[in-house]
Amino acid sequence: MSTTIRQHTFSNGMTLLLEEMPWLSSASFTFLIPFGSANEPRDYEGSSTVLNDWLYRGAGNYSSQELSEALDDLGLRRGGGTGKEYTTLSGSLLASNINEALRLYADIIRRPHLKDSEFEPARNLALQELASLGDNPTQQLFETLSGRYFHSSHGKSTYGTLDGLNRLSPTSVRNDYTQRLSPGGAILSIAGGVQWETVLKQVEKLFSDWSGSGVTFPEVVITRPHQEHITQDTSQVQIGVAYQAFAPSHPGWYENAVAIGVLSGGMGARLFSEVREKRGLVYSVSAGSRSLKNYGYTLGYAGTTPERANETLSVLLSELRKMSQGISKDELERSRTGLLSQLVMQGESSGARATSMARDMFLVGAPRPIEDIKAQLNGLSLEHVNQFLSSYHPSFTVLTLGSEPLAEVALS
Amino acid sequence: MNFQKTTLANRLTIIGEHNPNSQSFAAGYFVNTGSRDESATIAGVSHFLEHMMFKGTARRSAEDINLEFDSLGANYNAYTNEERTVYYGAVLPERGKELLDLLTDMMRPALREEDFTIEKNVILEEIAMYQDHPHFLVFEKGNAGFFNGHPLGNSVLGSVDSIKALSVEEMNTYFNARYAPNNMTLVVAGNYDWEKVLAQIETQSASWQALETSRTYPEPHPKDGHEAHNDASLKRTHVAFFAPGMSAQDDLNYAASLLASCIGDSSGSRLYWALVDKGLVDSAGLHHEVADGYGMFSGYVSTTPEQLEQVSSIFRQELLKVEKEGVTAEEWKRAQRKLATSLTLRSETPFGRLMYLGASYLYNQSYKSTSEIIAAINSASLDDANAILMRKPFSQLYSFALQPS
Repeated sequence: MSTTIRQHTFSNGMTLLLEEMPWLSSASFTFLIPFGSANEPRDYEGSSTVLNDWLYRGAGNYSSQELSEALDDLGLRRGGGTGKEYTTLSGSLLASNINEALRLYADIIRRPHLKDSEFEPARNLALQELASLGDNPTQQLFETLSGRYFHSSHGKSTYGTLDGLNRLSPTSVRNDYTQRLSPGGAILSIAGGVQWETVLKQVEKLFSDWSGSGVTFPEVVITRPHQEHITQDTSQVQIGVAYQAFAPSHPGWYENAVAIGVLSGGMGARLFSEVREKRGLVYSVSAGSRSLKNYGYTLGYAGTTPERANETLSVLLSELRKMSQGISKDELERSRTGLLSQLVMQGESSGARATSMARDMFLVGAPRPIEDIKAQLNGLSLEHVNQFLSSYHPSFTVLTLGSEPLAEVALS
Repeated sequence: MNFQKTTLANRLTIIGEHNPNSQSFAAGYFVNTGSRDESATIAGVSHFLEHMMFKGTARRSAEDINLEFDSLGANYNAYTNEERTVYYGAVLPERGKELLDLLTDMMRPALREEDFTIEKNVILEEIAMYQDHPHFLVFEKGNAGFFNGHPLGNSVLGSVDSIKALSVEEMNTYFNARYAPNNMTLVVAGNYDWEKVLAQIETQSASWQALETSRTYPEPHPKDGHEAHNDASLKRTHVAFFAPGMSAQDDLNYAASLLASCIGDSSGSRLYWALVDKGLVDSAGLHHEVADGYGMFSGYVSTTPEQLEQVSSIFRQELLKVEKEGVTAEEWKRAQRKLATSLTLRSETPFGRLMYLGASYLYNQSYKSTSEIIAAINSASLDDANAILMRKPFSQLYSFALQPS
């Protein structure tokens, strides 16, 4: 089913995107607002996540409980959360309720009460979530790895820090709200059984007089590749690898996407096959792309018991290095088919479409229609992909977490 | 959307929900076997076998299977729980025939010794992985405690000892006893040609032999009260809660799900306001889960060791309050709307539909369309809720904590 994406940017800088999927009875929306851990006020780590929670605790004419009930009355399933560069407030519901939901979200975003009495519970919740990381070694590994990999504030965890969270006050977070929650760069993306004209009218009414200048983004700076270990009493050693890749706007983006598919696209992909199937070293091994506004990187992961950890890390890194020797024709076709097939299946779900349109708009300045992505993928030749890979020799930052340090490895 | 069903001569059942407008096709073999069907000596065999089913057949190697799934652009996997093992994939409609060929071939695995030896390590790694994830472990241990010797309390993964001791011969015996065509259902959903599917599967499964299989249904005698296990490496206290609920065969199970949503949904529920909103826990929830001939409410909180007593007591009080006073009409209505939205969203893709179709068919050998399920949810009443509460499920609450010593 072919669809078109409608787009309108209001004079205050906010963009509305909509993909009509008339066969669906549901609709999904994502408000993407560019406040995240990377552009948090200095010394106030965790301000974004506390603010995100505080927003829902009463807005417009609704108390915290009334607001929650009003959203539940619409049967709305809430989602979203805080990231490095932006926070999303999202929801899915029956398409007929979309206008009412947007009205409530206009209150949440533009008229939150941010009452003193609701501040401590919001901060406590963030403190509890931070503490929970201690019992989730995999998540802890990734949070720490990102801190070690980035020299710039992109390394800050979205969970915040104990000091940062304790330093927050109702006033500091209210100031943060005034500075960072603004229409400049904000995106509202909607997909599903809704109509452009109706939605545009409603969004115009609710948001066109919203004002504020928006935020700036720091430049990405990374540390020198290095290896580090965190000693912790766990059954498995957590192994993480981070290395530079390509920004979504880079011409090599699609070549890299295919390469990541060859490494980690399915059970036939190289990492699964070499590390798990042939050697039985792990249950879990993978590599995946991460994107920031002007920067892309890849995270590799494996979890294994201590006696197999050195071998696992060595096989993982050697597979990553081997990519520069190129891929086979069959690998290209499998990876491409996987990506194309995922695209079609994503096109069946309103939630997946709303999320990816908002993300594309933020990262590359325009939503990418599924047909365009297909054409790009279909245009890749083996020769071209291998030429690209032969000039790509990343260096690795390696972080391990477990009972004992691993042997030193070569980082390129 | 229309429902189709047939049983082949070898007694393999095939069901389908046809939607010619779908852009994809999903298929899965639902095998009526899981950890509840295991004896203690072969604990974990259902799940280990699920891994081995990907390791090759008479005409495919393990590598062939993985590469073929990837070549089809399939979204695929498998899972095992206490009472079923499911192998599934979703592809574009034009690859449907190849997907069925692959899945069907996999249902008659080679179970080669050398693959078994390597895969045993992978299973042991999976067990080690969950040791580091207390929010998972607390359910496994709590479930065993609650069911108190009943097979529904059996661990899906098995133990390090049971997995190490397992032989390929024992697995083969289990496979032969449980993977008879009459104990399996092939489910298809989305865009496909029913007659072609039938012809293909009939040919491909012609040699499969029906065999009497059975499952025992001993009366559960679930535990109540509280138990705890200390683990010095933990940072937080994790508590799982269990209470008797309604079985998959009981019509009151829709009302039970709604009741669980009123009490413990992630937004706007009683537990949300009492615990999450106050910042006492980072998450608190209650769900209702159906099983074959049994059902239960299960809940979870994670909190600091210092707040455990307060949090546990609030959790219990909230449940007992509902047991005594019921919920309001407004809460009930909201829960109905939320559940209807979730179901609608899940049913939008053949893949989402497949899971629901298969599980409910295994339990009840009947079909409900998405709109029939939503109608059933909307017609569940507060009287139904009260009928459940009359049985005093929450007075029988069992909790299990994993805590730092």
